[in-house]
Amino acid sequence: MIRFENVTKVYDQKARPALDAVNLEIDRGEFAFLVGASGSGKSTFLRLVLKEDRATSGAVYVAGQNVAKISSWRVPRLRRGIGVVFQDFRLLPQKNVFANVAFAMQVIGKSRSVIRDTVPEVLKTVGLEGKEHRMPHELSGGEQQRVAIARAVVNRPGILLADEPTGNLDPTTSMGIMGVLDKINQNGTTVVMATHDDDIVNEMRKRVVELKNGIVIRDEARALYTSMIPVVGQSRRLKDASGREAPEAGLPGEGEGQR
Amino acid sequence: MRLAFVLGEIGSGLRRNLSMVVSVILVTFVSLTFVGAAGMLQMQINQMKGYWYDKVQVAIFLCSEGSTAAGCASGPVTAEQQASLNTLLESPAVAQYVNDFQFESKEEAYNHFKDQFSNSPIVDSVTPDQLPASFRINMKDPEKYQIISETFSSQPGVETVIDQRQLLERLFSVMNGASLVAVSIAGVMIVCAILLIATTIRLSAFSRRRETGIMRLVGASKTVIQLPFILEGVIAAVIGAALASATLWAVAHFFLGEFMSQQYPDTAFISSGQTLILVPALLILGASLAGISSLLTLRRYLRV
Repeated sequence: MIRFENVTKVYDQKARPALDAVNLEIDRGEFAFLVGASGSGKSTFLRLVLKEDRATSGAVYVAGQNVAKISSWRVPRLRRGIGVVFQDFRLLPQKNVFANVAFAMQVIGKSRSVIRDTVPEVLKTVGLEGKEHRMPHELSGGEQQRVAIARAVVNRPGILLADEPTGNLDPTTSMGIMGVLDKINQNGTTVVMATHDDDIVNEMRKRVVELKNGIVIRDEARALYTSMIPVVGQSRRLKDASGREAPEAGLPGEGEGQR
Repeated sequence: MRLAFVLGEIGSGLRRNLSMVVSVILVTFVSLTFVGAAGMLQMQINQMKGYWYDKVQVAIFLCSEGSTAAGCASGPVTAEQQASLNTLLESPAVAQYVNDFQFESKEEAYNHFKDQFSNSPIVDSVTPDQLPASFRINMKDPEKYQIISETFSSQPGVETVIDQRQLLERLFSVMNGASLVAVSIAGVMIVCAILLIATTIRLSAFSRRRETGIMRLVGASKTVIQLPFILEGVIAAVIGAALASATLWAVAHFFLGEFMSQQYPDTAFISSGQTLILVPALLILGASLAGISSLLTLRRYLRV
């Protein structure tokens, strides 16, 4: 569904690349976490998928298309196939819940009757039945994020990108949001979620792609937030930090199956 | 659905930015009024040229009763004098400068006069006797007027030789100067209008950046995102152009048509109907000004 082939993104010629020769494939229907410190390249990854930015070299494929080859007037079509959720919800404050979700359908020219049928259905999926006429400021953070998710998936995109969707929420609410994302994933949508939230990653046990300084340093299925296997590049750092020799290879029995 | 959506967006944009929209309307109104005034002056010049210019460049007026010029001491022009003038005009020395010429009798002069001032009360007070007969000469090169003047001024039976082009041109140059001033003012005002429209659209785009950001993300087309902003500017400018058109019509109808034509009954003024051909030009000018400046602004300030 999303394939990165040797993708490098350089914002500033003098600084190090934001993404450095990244090769990655995320299959249809998969749920993948993108983890790593700030500045590790998570957001750049999401921006390249959306064609907000152009890769400096290498090729980004979304749903089989090389995004570099999509002409600018067809970019909207690409974006209709991708839902996006942010940390700060980005709802329209003067529109109620129904109108916020309906907005995503109006602007791409869906008819009023389709909107009337689809929006309540999606609101039910995210667990907001009966709150159609609430205004965003009357909702809790978790409920606002559910509205944002509903808006992202109302046009049935094949991919859902979530950029730290639980960053502003408490752990319990976050788990609720993860339940919604998991449900959407069960319905066949590919979900890519950039996050710092180790509890969630550890709880979900999904594929984890870890970025560091623009390089993929770990890619494990059903993994935890921090690696159980010291990677080759990390061993020296571990040794330096602890002051004693660390094993070069992964600890037997601890490692999850490397993808 | 999408049309209704775009219209709704335009409405909310206009409401949110009401004071800026009003100023755009006023600035386009003033600038296009000056553009239109320059246009009206040119139309007035053409109106006057239409009769005189090209038809007549040099006129040799012949003596009539009551002429006081030195050449007319012997009374009105005689048939012999007229014939000899005709021969002189056809002689090679003069003919090389002349395209063609014609004799205009008192009656013909009267008829022309009636045609030109058909809607003016002065016609009733003029008789054919008061108008002099003349030779109307179309010059090959209007600059050679001096030669004709020198040759004919001293001939018997000639009252005066007039380069009518020069008389008219003096008036036209004043009017051209006025329309140049109007165009310069219009130019400055149009620059103001463009900058103001750009600022208004920028503010509008800024105040709605949340909406447009979401529209991009969910895959709204460039047209759906940009159209409300562009139309916002275009609607304001078209209202301004309509006001300018109405003003020009009112000036032609009330000032020229009713006031000036009574003050100067011997001048043919343009009618208010003629100013209507300026209306589509002003509307198109206003709309394209707004359209282009908002398009350029959006390209810089609204990511799509």
